[in-house]
Amino acid sequence: MFIHNVNPSIKAITIIVSVFLLALVFDPITPLCFVIWIWILTIGVAKIHWKKYLVYFSPFFIFALGMFWTNVMFANEPNNPADVITLFGREFPTEDVNTALALSLRILSFTSLSLLFLLTTNIVHFILSLMQQCKLPPKLAYGILAGYRFLPMMKDELVLIHAAHRVRGVNRAKTMKEAFQQYKRFAIPLLASAIRKAERTAIAMESKGFTGSRDRTFYRQFTIGPKDWLFLVMMLGMLLIFITVSWQLGYLKWYSGEF
Amino acid sequence: MMEASAVKVDHLTLFFDDIPEKPVLNDISFEVNEMENLLILGPSGCGKSTLTHCLNGLFPRELDGNMNGDIFINQKNATDYRNGEISQHLGVVFQDPETQFCMFTVEDEIAFGLENKGVSPNEMEDKIDEVLGLVKMKECKHRNITTLSGGQKQKLALACILAMEPEILVLDEPTANLDPVAAKEFIHTLQQLQQHKKFSLLVIEHQLDGWVSLIDRSIMINAKGEIFYDGELRHGINKHRDTLEQLGIWIPKATKLALELEKKENHTFENLPLTIHELAAQSIDFKPSLNKGNGKPNQHDLAIKANELLWSKKDTDIINAKDIHLYSGQFVMILGANGSGKSSLSKLLAGIEKPSKGSVQLYDKPLQGWRERELRTKIGYVFQNPEHQFISDTVFDEVAFSLRLQGLTEREVINRVKAILEQCQLTSFTDLHPYTLSQGQKRRLSVATMIVDNQSLLFLDEPTFGQDASSTNQLLNLLMERHAQGTGIVMITHDMELVYQYAERVLVMENGQIALDTTPEQLWSLTREQLKQWQLELPVQVKLQRLLQKDVGYVHS
Repeated sequence: MFIHNVNPSIKAITIIVSVFLLALVFDPITPLCFVIWIWILTIGVAKIHWKKYLVYFSPFFIFALGMFWTNVMFANEPNNPADVITLFGREFPTEDVNTALALSLRILSFTSLSLLFLLTTNIVHFILSLMQQCKLPPKLAYGILAGYRFLPMMKDELVLIHAAHRVRGVNRAKTMKEAFQQYKRFAIPLLASAIRKAERTAIAMESKGFTGSRDRTFYRQFTIGPKDWLFLVMMLGMLLIFITVSWQLGYLKWYSGEF
Repeated sequence: MMEASAVKVDHLTLFFDDIPEKPVLNDISFEVNEMENLLILGPSGCGKSTLTHCLNGLFPRELDGNMNGDIFINQKNATDYRNGEISQHLGVVFQDPETQFCMFTVEDEIAFGLENKGVSPNEMEDKIDEVLGLVKMKECKHRNITTLSGGQKQKLALACILAMEPEILVLDEPTANLDPVAAKEFIHTLQQLQQHKKFSLLVIEHQLDGWVSLIDRSIMINAKGEIFYDGELRHGINKHRDTLEQLGIWIPKATKLALELEKKENHTFENLPLTIHELAAQSIDFKPSLNKGNGKPNQHDLAIKANELLWSKKDTDIINAKDIHLYSGQFVMILGANGSGKSSLSKLLAGIEKPSKGSVQLYDKPLQGWRERELRTKIGYVFQNPEHQFISDTVFDEVAFSLRLQGLTEREVINRVKAILEQCQLTSFTDLHPYTLSQGQKRRLSVATMIVDNQSLLFLDEPTFGQDASSTNQLLNLLMERHAQGTGIVMITHDMELVYQYAERVLVMENGQIALDTTPEQLWSLTREQLKQWQLELPVQVKLQRLLQKDVGYVHS
């Protein structure tokens, strides 16, 4: 589980830098190669089950497909209208297809990078590592963790409130206005209990000696070792190789606001 | 030589800014000696939690109000401690098991306190194992906190505090949100703990059950935030028996029974018994009197008929019940261990959830055939948390809501709401926002909204949970009044005294199935092991009868 064990902060930095570099270039080859590389890492190395991956990935894939389609259909006037390729039995200018491909593959590459991070990182470890490596203030970090704990509780509570209101004879909302009013009614008990819970949790944390100061030890210690730098160098190295390949093939362009 | 005091509270008076005329705590002074167990007893709203906040240094730092007087922790003024330093000497376990944690797994949560204290990481693992061993939860070390039961969560909260090795342990109503079996186990854990570790114990409570065996000295606080007794617990109960009852404090069940006997038999106990054995040892003549119907349903009043109910989620059966018939006019209680499917069953029967298979019929018409609004005028359902059901801004509108939905004239609405509010003893709160009511009042309001249509069946999910004695009495009087008028009541409960006093029929749930459908009297005749398996206990009256019979047996033999 090499990727699971990479220091979460380094992993996040690697991914942010990669996204930034990918955003600078504009061609179909670099993101295509990179997406395939990330897939190999996610499914081959991190051993994420492909079915699970597909479930997360498919909405973005559909979005990217839509992006591709609209960009091909409603493209700008091409500089080189004679140069065409045939798609679905219709001719399109090669230039437009390339632009569309570059845009949609760019979405896919951002998606697969984010998923690589989300599927291989424990969110608690990530926050702990941010505190230890990136000097995130403990007040903020533990606040986020406590809040994150509340999310499933609030979801359960919403289901309960919904049922409780139905018993009162509140009908299912049919119009937009009714739906809005209904959510307003849900919001008050939900907020009231959230505020109360937050206050109690804060008091409990304080009485365990939490002051928010940086002067504390850590049960789970996160360090940065050679394997973490290896991951960073490997990811950015591969990306540079793909950019070079694309440049050699003559596809590479710098991004200049295409949409 | 004077014994050193672990905690000393000196003339403490505290006001909140929003109620400057009435102090929450009024000139409180007391001391806790080292290694002493002290119980602070007071009704809900007497400033017990405020006192906790003063002890752990949260007040005056975070107080919107005024605080006079001093608190000394280990002979040092609480205000002289650095921020967060008090927690190394005084640890608190709070009431609500859900909101005391900020991490996800058991080990991380215990480590949190150690991290705050600055314990070196290599020592943490051993400390965590040690405290988990103390509360007998070693096997839970890597578990996610959300998968623990309420009782386990409270024991974890205790372990977290123990890990920090304070000399003083404060427990703020630690068993209020636990069912009786878990509460008993928690107190038992504490008892064993005291044999292994040395600490002063300060329990702040509104009920006495279970603590009597652990604690000798008690301080009693009244609703005005004043101390009215400081001394031996046993003597205090004896002396202030009437005051305690008026304040709505839960006294031990055996003591309560003794007080009832006093009233009935015109007999005065010199020394009030605190346990069932003490009561049985006094030569008394105990004839149980019950306040309930004959238990035989009128066959014509069949309200709900359920056939072959099956409800499953993610391939596991939550409910798998055979036929159930509920009659209007019957008082039914649903019993069973946590997670045995009590709430799920009642929600299926009340039409709040749909079964995967099988059908529920209300008056020979399947539930799906009823229009939602019509159905709700027949069946009421009171949820565990009353706030979830509130939808209006005033108590009056809350009750009027469903009447107005039906298009009644405003005059009729006013009349009916008034009558219901009177019945629920809420008349003086008509214009208040429901959220500003006390726990007991909120509960009665949620019942009020569910009986305003003269519903013929009323489901209640643990309505007496966490309520003080007087609110519980008021609620049950209200329910009995409705019951006398012919409303069928189906109540989920853990409280065996209520079962003994009010139930005409009991349904015992086990793993989503109805293990038993019988009368309470039949239930008492089962073996102890059988009851224990369902996490049930015999009510105190039955225990007393058994003990007395045994004595008679001895005399004859």
